[in-house]
Amino acid sequence: MDKGNQKGKPACNSYAESIAGREHPLSLLAQEAYKVFSDMGFEIATGPELESEWYNFDVLNVSKDHPVRDMQDTFFIKALPDAFPQVLGSLGPQPQPDHSQKHTGSAFVLRTHTTNVTARAIEKAGKENRLPCAFISIGKVFRNEATDSTHEMQFFQIDGTMIGEDISIADLKGVLTHFYKKMLGDDVEMEFRPSFFPFVEPGLEVWLKFKNRWLEVMGAGMLHPNVLKNVGLDPKKVQGFAFGGGLDRIAMVKWNIPDVRLFYQGDLRLNQF
Amino acid sequence: MKISYNWLKWYIPEIPKAEKVADIFMYHLCEVEGVEKIGEDTVFDLNILPNRAHDLLSHQGIARELASQLGIAYKDPTEMYKIPESKPTKLKIELKTEKCRRYMGRIVRNVKVEPSPDWVKKHLESIGQRSINNIVDATNIVMYDCGQPCHAFDLDKLVSEKIIVRTAKTAEMVELLGSEIIGNVKKSKAVLLSITDMIITDEKNVLAIAGVKGGKIAEVDKNTKNILIEVANFEPISVRKTSKKLGILTDSSKRFENDLSSELASYAMREISGLLVEYGETKFENIVDVYQDKQKEIKLSFSVDRVSKILGITVSLSEIEDIFKRYNFKYKNKAEEFEITIPPMRLDLMIEEDMAEEIGRILGYDKIKPKIPDIDFTPKVNEIHSKIDWARNKLLEDGYSEVMTYTFCEKGEVEVLASASDKKFLRTNLSDGLKESLKLNQLNVPLLEMNEIKIFEIGTVFKKDKEEIYVAYADKKEIKEMSLEKFYESASLQSSGNNFGAFALGDIGQGTHDALNYSPKTSHFMAWSIFPFIVRDIAVWVPVDVSNKEIEKIIKDNVGELVIRGPELFDEFKKDGKISYAFRLVFQSYERTLKDEEVNEIMVKIGHKISENSSWVIR
Repeated sequence: MDKGNQKGKPACNSYAESIAGREHPLSLLAQEAYKVFSDMGFEIATGPELESEWYNFDVLNVSKDHPVRDMQDTFFIKALPDAFPQVLGSLGPQPQPDHSQKHTGSAFVLRTHTTNVTARAIEKAGKENRLPCAFISIGKVFRNEATDSTHEMQFFQIDGTMIGEDISIADLKGVLTHFYKKMLGDDVEMEFRPSFFPFVEPGLEVWLKFKNRWLEVMGAGMLHPNVLKNVGLDPKKVQGFAFGGGLDRIAMVKWNIPDVRLFYQGDLRLNQF
Repeated sequence: MKISYNWLKWYIPEIPKAEKVADIFMYHLCEVEGVEKIGEDTVFDLNILPNRAHDLLSHQGIARELASQLGIAYKDPTEMYKIPESKPTKLKIELKTEKCRRYMGRIVRNVKVEPSPDWVKKHLESIGQRSINNIVDATNIVMYDCGQPCHAFDLDKLVSEKIIVRTAKTAEMVELLGSEIIGNVKKSKAVLLSITDMIITDEKNVLAIAGVKGGKIAEVDKNTKNILIEVANFEPISVRKTSKKLGILTDSSKRFENDLSSELASYAMREISGLLVEYGETKFENIVDVYQDKQKEIKLSFSVDRVSKILGITVSLSEIEDIFKRYNFKYKNKAEEFEITIPPMRLDLMIEEDMAEEIGRILGYDKIKPKIPDIDFTPKVNEIHSKIDWARNKLLEDGYSEVMTYTFCEKGEVEVLASASDKKFLRTNLSDGLKESLKLNQLNVPLLEMNEIKIFEIGTVFKKDKEEIYVAYADKKEIKEMSLEKFYESASLQSSGNNFGAFALGDIGQGTHDALNYSPKTSHFMAWSIFPFIVRDIAVWVPVDVSNKEIEKIIKDNVGELVIRGPELFDEFKKDGKISYAFRLVFQSYERTLKDEEVNEIMVKIGHKISENSSWVIR
């Protein structure tokens, strides 16, 4: 009898070359999500993880004294190396450190949502006369909070927008209902309830019933006219919806994954799907 | 905010059952975080939205909303509170800062400080508040009832009958109400103020931090005879900054932070005076009202068409009129245009879009039929995304599995401020994380259906001059890392001739995943044990005509429940007319660390069973 050790031995080397690697569950889900939105005519957008306060907050109608800008929620960048900002691309109005704020950092943050990508994308689309337009982005976001089984300092968000002359809440409801049914199955029930986010008006919360439980999965609404103005669009001519929510959350309910931290341990036992 | 059903019933005699009320809140107002039955009352825990916190952190606000939503009667409480007879006063109020928009003061003499009447205690307890004494309780009742914080000072502890509202001087101190335990000693809390803090003072002492908390010096106690009632309106940002800076968040500061209407003060003064009248033999002096920043009447115009266009549903004129009648909005309309006079408490209604929300939520968003829009837009291929997708598929096909590791680390070029964790830097490479992952997974090889650990990560790294997407992949021999661009260039060159090389970038947008013939193995996550596992191999010599299945069956039948993987045949060879089969077993418990001895016992049992057949020999 051979007493095994924890190193283990390669069992059948001859097959090794032909076995495909296994994908991370969040990647798997992101690709499914991209597919669903691409089929509805959305363009994939990407953007920086280290972002100016302008694109992360101001452009989205989050006022200077809004509580979310407090340090406990946002990772402010201490001092950005001088060479950095020039390559961040367009920064919006030149960000100045706000000395009335308590923190002493730069005017840069780790993005707290991927809505920065939405803002950049519609700004660019407006300049290029590509209206109406629709964008979808999935990316890593950061929150400065204590971690537990449902909170992480980094996680993935899915964020989307559609803008046109008469894009309405009816369209928002249609798009998101279609999306969640594709992701979680046709028997998912959806509800849209009143809520508030500075960058939308009206503001909605998206709830769904899955495996007999109601869950809040997204914040959404019609883009606030201030946001449209901030990205150079005319709110008298165009309107549109925006939404954003966690991808990790969808993965957790879809597959019954009990702890959000499992996604970032580099442990291949996670790659089960 | 905790809202008592019985309290609401004061204002809405025909209030429906609690379950129905909870549904109305949820679908037309805000999230209901809890519904709890407490004695004969039901208490709702409502997550009031930030744009309504100026009028809905109160029972009256919620009652008005509920009655309007249902189209049933709301009993206006104003008449309930008697206006007491009052005498001339010598009270002087001086506002030295614009951040105090309004200050109403009233001296009330000959009060008796005693326990509150039962109904007051009950109301406070229902929403989780402690009764203190009749005077303090009266100020609290008014706050939870109409939303306006009030304060009572012991008049005889002031140096004169003059109140000054001003900003603090550098290093000015105030000793606050209440106490905290430091070590074993109960100490009152002294706070150091600065020039950004607004305070209430007499001609000598600091009496309170405006809108945040009262001071010890003029505390109402059991000997108090004469009081000064404060009903004021303070500018929200100033209150929020002070409250945050000092780390003192109170029910009062929370309300002022959300920009209360200055108009509310008059009602609140009437209510608190009315409550004190009920307490008995008190003598009221005239109200002193310094209203330096009078709230203006606001009119808002909107078109029915625009509201319909935002909501995606045709809203009729009569539906809107019905809403305005139920909500007591004064309005005029010309054709498709409405002009409304915003009620003073509804500071959230400022633009046309706000009216779309108001009408949408009152009608209910479930009334809007979902539709899939068809827009005239031609999506472009996103080059970065396509390259990531391409790189991922290439590595998967080459047998690498994907991992994700943390962006935060202990060393780097870019640092974040005050992280909750000790890892304050952003990673400059993926390799460090990948190394750890490799180590972890190599230890777990016997648990994984893999022969060799090959992993990769695609992610952003943060260098001195920019953030950039990198690709790193590792096996037992080496870790390679490069930018996504480089990876794409070199890999597509190398693999020209096979599938990957054939992709032009424009073609690799979506759906390349299908190329892997991927089929999900499971739809339900299998949690893994956090306890160590034990691997055992067993090899048996048997005559060549014996199939490995026979041996596998004996092992299966005798291995018990602690095995999490196997038996797996990992080796077989023939020699001298016999054949050797080698199987691997992995043992692990979800509840505890397994002992070598117990696994040995299982193996011995399997060995015995196999040896029962005399021509089979364990190697």
